[in-house]
Amino acid sequence: MSYAHITLPRLLLSLALIAVAIALSRRGRLGLERDLVWGALRGAAQLIAIGYVLLLLFNHEHPAWVVLLLAVMLGVAGATAARRVEHGPPRTVLFSRAIAAIGAGTLVAVVPVFAAVVPLHPWYEARYLVPISGMMLSNAMNVVALVFERIFASARSEADQVEALLALGATPRQALERQVRATLRAALLPTINGLLTVGLVALPGMMTGQIVSGTPPEQAVRYQIVILYQLVAVAAVAGMVAVGFARRLLFTGRAQLVLPRN
Amino acid sequence: MTSTLEARELVVVREDRRILDGASILVPPGEAVAIQGPSGSGKSTFARALATLLEPDAGAVLLGGLDAQRIAPTQFRTRVAFLAQQPAMFEGSVLRNLEAGPQVHGKSLSDVRASELIRAVGLDEPILQREARTLSGGEKQRVALARALANEPEVLLLDEPTAALDPDAGERIVALLRELRARGLSVVMVTHEESHARALGGTLYRCERGRLAIDS
Ligand SMILES: Nc1ncnc2c1ncn2[C@@H]1O[C@H](COP(=O)(O)OP(=O)(O)O)[C@@H](O)[C@H]1O
Ligand SMILES: [Mg+2]
Repeated sequence: MSYAHITLPRLLLSLALIAVAIALSRRGRLGLERDLVWGALRGAAQLIAIGYVLLLLFNHEHPAWVVLLLAVMLGVAGATAARRVEHGPPRTVLFSRAIAAIGAGTLVAVVPVFAAVVPLHPWYEARYLVPISGMMLSNAMNVVALVFERIFASARSEADQVEALLALGATPRQALERQVRATLRAALLPTINGLLTVGLVALPGMMTGQIVSGTPPEQAVRYQIVILYQLVAVAAVAGMVAVGFARRLLFTGRAQLVLPRN
Repeated sequence: MTSTLEARELVVVREDRRILDGASILVPPGEAVAIQGPSGSGKSTFARALATLLEPDAGAVLLGGLDAQRIAPTQFRTRVAFLAQQPAMFEGSVLRNLEAGPQVHGKSLSDVRASELIRAVGLDEPILQREARTLSGGEKQRVALARALANEPEVLLLDEPTAALDPDAGERIVALLRELRARGLSVVMVTHEESHARALGGTLYRCERGRLAIDS
């Protein structure tokens, strides 16, 4: 396999791209310079670290290590989805629920596929399990973050309507139905747009990589189709579970709306 | 059949303050009760607790002698209709708004019944097709009343139904409430306006610092 070699000086040269964004942030007084610098360094560090972790993992494929890595990924995804939810419950309350929603969505999408569609040998075969689970976790994370962000905000801004429905004898589920529908639609839209534009706008990295490294294109494409469908299931399940948790946080057992204070 | 609505020693504490400090009330079947008191005295909190939309920290609400805790909230709130000070209109026509109550109970509202309801609150049928959110304050108040009546409640519980209206429209709402009471409904009206409280023509309670007392 031949590929263009990226030497360290060349890698550093690519930092100029970040410099462009920093310059624009300065000019427009966006105040994003610190975030950009931090993000650039952190992103690089994370990728370098995971590069070594994956190397270790592929060389010493042991179920405990694979599971540990997936658990760490799940933890980070949960913490990220529970972060910065305005008008919502505290992060600590949301964290465990985010983990559950992301975990449930990922399990539903990953387990059946690896059991029936892409059989793994052994079941913890890291070169499939880790990257595909990562894509699922990441999509679930985005969906759950969107759900939390939106449902608590709309319950607050439309509290008078929700209460008016409760006062007419509606159950919490009925009273929040409009807000839930709008939230889930918004949260699923990016995934659905992904379905519609795949291959036209974005060329999936894994498929491209497989073709580059010699997998027959029709096989690589099939993998990608399966992954796309998995992403849809992940989004739907994680979104539904997150909405369920949000609803339980928004209402008492006596069907009273409680808006989290912050 | 109308039931007695009762609150016993309701206490609501927020931020270490007793917003309700042992507030009690008795609303016999078919009676009218006005609760009058200065702004900030706890009237809205009391009305919301009486409607079971807010859980008191102590005390009990009873309907027909039965603790509200032992009645499903959906059922309690169908029997005791609560109208907030500025009732939220749902998206869509007035008719859609009237249908909301029956709909959450899996029922539908006949056209005849919709016309009956809208006339009962002093409006005319053409308004049924109008966008509810574009109505005036007084019209919204009436639509909210009709919407509540579609559930065929036993008790009407209203928080300052006249506060956002001009004096004329306010008086007409009070007159309408008297009419509804004459048809057998119990009516509980919260207001800061002495004249409206008296005009309702029932028992008058004074609300002060989270407590209620009968004004004689
Ligand atoms: N959720 C709350 N948290 C803290 N204070 C509140 C809350 N709800 C109401 N209050 C306070 O309780 C007092 C009574 O409020 P309210 O019941 O609305 O009175 P009223 O309807 O008679 O004007 C007010 O001082 C109000 O600021
Ligand atoms: Mg008030």
